[in-house]
Amino acid sequence: MGYPAEILRRLSMIFHRRQFDRDLQEEMRLHLDLRQQQQVDLGLAPAAARRAAHLKFGNTTRIQEKSRMTWGWESLESLLRDATYGMRAMLRSPALTLVALLSLALGIGANTAIFSLLDAVMLRSLPVKDPHQLVLLGTGDWNGISDGFAITDAYSYPFYRQLQQKNAVFSSTAAIFSMLNEVHGFVLTSSGESRTDSQPINVQLVSGTYFLTLGVEAQRGRVFTDDDNSEGDHPVAVVSNAWWKRSLGSDPNVLDRKLKLGDTVFTIVGVAPPEFFGTKVGEAPDIWVPMSMMKSVPPYWEGYKDNFSVAHLVFGRLKPGITTQQATANVNLLFQQILRGFPDAKLNEENLRKLAKNHVHLTPMATGLSDLRGQFSEPLQILMAVVALVLLIACANIANLLLARSTARARELAVRQALGARRGRIIRQLLTESLLLALAGGALGIGLASVANRLLLHMVSGGQDNIPLDVSLNIRLLLFTLAVTMATALIFGTIPAFRATRLQLTDTLKSGRTPQGAGARSPLARILVISQVALSLVLMIAAGLFLRSLINLTNIDTGFNKENVLRLKIDFSSAGYKNDDPRQIALYNTITERVSALPGVKAASFSSFTFHEGSWNGGITVPGMPVNHEIDVKHNIVQAGYFATMQIPLIAGRGFDPTDTSTSQRVAIVSEHMAKTLFPNGQALGRCYHIGDPKSPYEQLVIGVARDVKFDDLTESPEDIDYLPFFQGNCCLNSFEVRYTGNFATISAAVQQTIHSIDRALPISGITTLDDEVARSITNQRLVAQLSIFFGLLAVFLSSIGIYGLMSYVVSRRTNEIGIRMALGAARSNVRSLILREIALLVAIGIVIGIPVALISNRYVTHMLYGLRGTDPFSFAAATFVLLIVALLAGYIPAHRASRVDPMVALRYE
Amino acid sequence: MSRDEIPPGTLYLLILKTLALRGRLHGFEIADSIQRNSDEILQVEEGSLYPALQRMLIKGWVTAEWGTTAGNRRARYYTLTSDGRKQLAIELSQFERVIGAITRIIQIA
Repeated sequence: MGYPAEILRRLSMIFHRRQFDRDLQEEMRLHLDLRQQQQVDLGLAPAAARRAAHLKFGNTTRIQEKSRMTWGWESLESLLRDATYGMRAMLRSPALTLVALLSLALGIGANTAIFSLLDAVMLRSLPVKDPHQLVLLGTGDWNGISDGFAITDAYSYPFYRQLQQKNAVFSSTAAIFSMLNEVHGFVLTSSGESRTDSQPINVQLVSGTYFLTLGVEAQRGRVFTDDDNSEGDHPVAVVSNAWWKRSLGSDPNVLDRKLKLGDTVFTIVGVAPPEFFGTKVGEAPDIWVPMSMMKSVPPYWEGYKDNFSVAHLVFGRLKPGITTQQATANVNLLFQQILRGFPDAKLNEENLRKLAKNHVHLTPMATGLSDLRGQFSEPLQILMAVVALVLLIACANIANLLLARSTARARELAVRQALGARRGRIIRQLLTESLLLALAGGALGIGLASVANRLLLHMVSGGQDNIPLDVSLNIRLLLFTLAVTMATALIFGTIPAFRATRLQLTDTLKSGRTPQGAGARSPLARILVISQVALSLVLMIAAGLFLRSLINLTNIDTGFNKENVLRLKIDFSSAGYKNDDPRQIALYNTITERVSALPGVKAASFSSFTFHEGSWNGGITVPGMPVNHEIDVKHNIVQAGYFATMQIPLIAGRGFDPTDTSTSQRVAIVSEHMAKTLFPNGQALGRCYHIGDPKSPYEQLVIGVARDVKFDDLTESPEDIDYLPFFQGNCCLNSFEVRYTGNFATISAAVQQTIHSIDRALPISGITTLDDEVARSITNQRLVAQLSIFFGLLAVFLSSIGIYGLMSYVVSRRTNEIGIRMALGAARSNVRSLILREIALLVAIGIVIGIPVALISNRYVTHMLYGLRGTDPFSFAAATFVLLIVALLAGYIPAHRASRVDPMVALRYE
Repeated sequence: MSRDEIPPGTLYLLILKTLALRGRLHGFEIADSIQRNSDEILQVEEGSLYPALQRMLIKGWVTAEWGTTAGNRRARYYTLTSDGRKQLAIELSQFERVIGAITRIIQIA
């Protein structure tokens, strides 16, 4: 009923405040004059009349205030007033304000940056429809192809098709190939030619129902349908928004464009929406291709119709009303049924046992799949705790600052309270000041965070191209920052505010000091400084532990010589060579020979794997040893020069040589551990064994034993590895290693040129050194170590500021006393040690508190450390030492100042 | 000659009625009118007049405009709006209801 008009009227008051005040004053003046005139007419003298008029009227100031309050903007106005007042107060002491702002900005910025990474990796839901309805079959921790039986983390495509048709609990299901195909393809122009060289394209093979199950619609064109599941005749592709922008220049005619992958030309039928990146966090495929085209996309996987080529991750959208338990039951039932129903199922005792034992677990897929998550979730949580502690330390500094300031303002506050200001009102004003400081710090922090974000992402990516993670600022992040900011304001503002207003008014007004003198502020301030010292110690100890762990890791002997080895990858399949192509075999030899002849090259070789590149593993059967299904031997197919290139010594037997041909006895070299554990009497040399099926006709003769090397990661215990000569195997040789002397860049250029001189079309990628490869495998440990050291030092720095501030204050308060002491004969050094003793006491208490806290908290990180435990005394000692030195230094300056005080000045100091 | 205070909440009623009777008045005139019409019994706390007038302005029960008094002084004149008239009726009936109830109670011998 006229509310909008009322609101408008109220709003207009804000703009016309001054006019309003003037009008009201004029009105009241008129009223008073008229009343005065009335009284004069009644016979009073003018002075008396005036007095009577005023008495009748009341308190004009109060009436004016009441009138203003009816307009309802009182609280907002007082807030603004407090804010302006607070800002002026902050500007009056610029140095303190700057320090406060910086500490806040660093603390809040660090929190936001780490949280943004945490959010992107662990918390954010996939940008699809109703992500909480999606469930994954298995844990998602699967990255390859296997022929195992009753595996529950991945499935074969025919299994998926049957599941799709027979299940009763999913409204839709989809399958993804568990590896990303890194293809070098050609983007064709509209006339069908390629104008440029091949470019790397990441291809994700998906079932026809992929986009439908996720509820993702194309922004242009169409997505796949179930029809795109018939084998081989749907060469279509959906491209990602990022790739469309990057490689096609956002071509509006994208739906007419074609791509050539291997021998096949694919037509682009759709572009995915901008926010959709796929289903795996940290991986962003460039294009999606139907699974039915699996054999046409390099490297031409063959398992599309194979009942037991287990390589696909399967997920589904639950029907409304179906619980996870119901779905699990249904899926497990079908799991048994479908596997048994396959005509080529080998239902022997071993497999039946597996079938009975293994159960499919459904895991929620709202946050998508991720390899990153497993790797980084714990480090990120630890870092989150670290930056939270740093922020607390920063808050303690600011609390001390505000305490100091409010002690200096004691007189002002006493006057205000004596004049009638309510304590709550003053507290509100002080809190507003803190809030202002916090908001300013928060704004700066966001600025810092947006820079730190990119740095963090670079560190997480381990020096290669940035992982496709979206760590930019978003609403959730800003809300988080706001929450942190408010919390810090409350934390560091409340106690000083309460303290400042708990005044004995008379005493304070008289002397400008609180009656307890030097003691009033100090207990709280001292407690704050002690807790800062304790927290800094905890952080420094943790940093020391992580650093030593990292150093231990980098000193691990990998078994091979990782220095001065160039490694690159050649994508033969994309260049048109299929498996077992004799030209490809010839190429291997030619390339190796020519490169080995280059100046500066000591050895070169192709291999399947070098380090941390994955594996091809399986069981073996050794005659004379009991059948063991747990055996998992890692096979590495290599050229003869591999051992020289990697400098892996052979401790027995010989390496591969020209007598080993594709038609001679199949041979193998095994690792020490394999020889010791898998062969009778630990003697492998001269014995034979079968790879995989014991009934297979191929027998490998062991001709040499190599020293153990690290294969997947640095902390593994010795593995069973065997090396097979490449012309007797059939698999892909992905890596090319070159041992060199001299300059990396020169050698790299020379090698690439040589390769291209042999075949121009061979795509080369992944050029790096073996050293970098090894370093990359400990990226998360390095991240934690580097960041915890940075934040540990930051914490110590902030604490030292706190100590400096407190000590300066203490000295200034005791100047009078110091003057008396010196007048009575104390030497300057006595004064210095007086102050230093106080500091030492504070720091000592802090350390004494910090050590047990560190011992407790270290228990949570012990399992992440390598080569030392959470109670490592060296780290404790080092951290304590650093802290002591810094703290004493910080306190020395005020102590020195105290000793230089002129007694005559000090005695007169009030 | 002590004057009785007016019951709280009835100030709006008095101002509205005064404006309804006399049309266009400024603050002093309203106060004076209430005082005279009540035979000098009701003493309007002049302090509360102005905040009350402000509130009535916000609610839209009166409008104000600057004019000149007889003595050639600038004054703000208040007039009742249609909303104000409605409000007057509401307040009147409310007041009568309350007074009626009180009267009934004290008339019980």
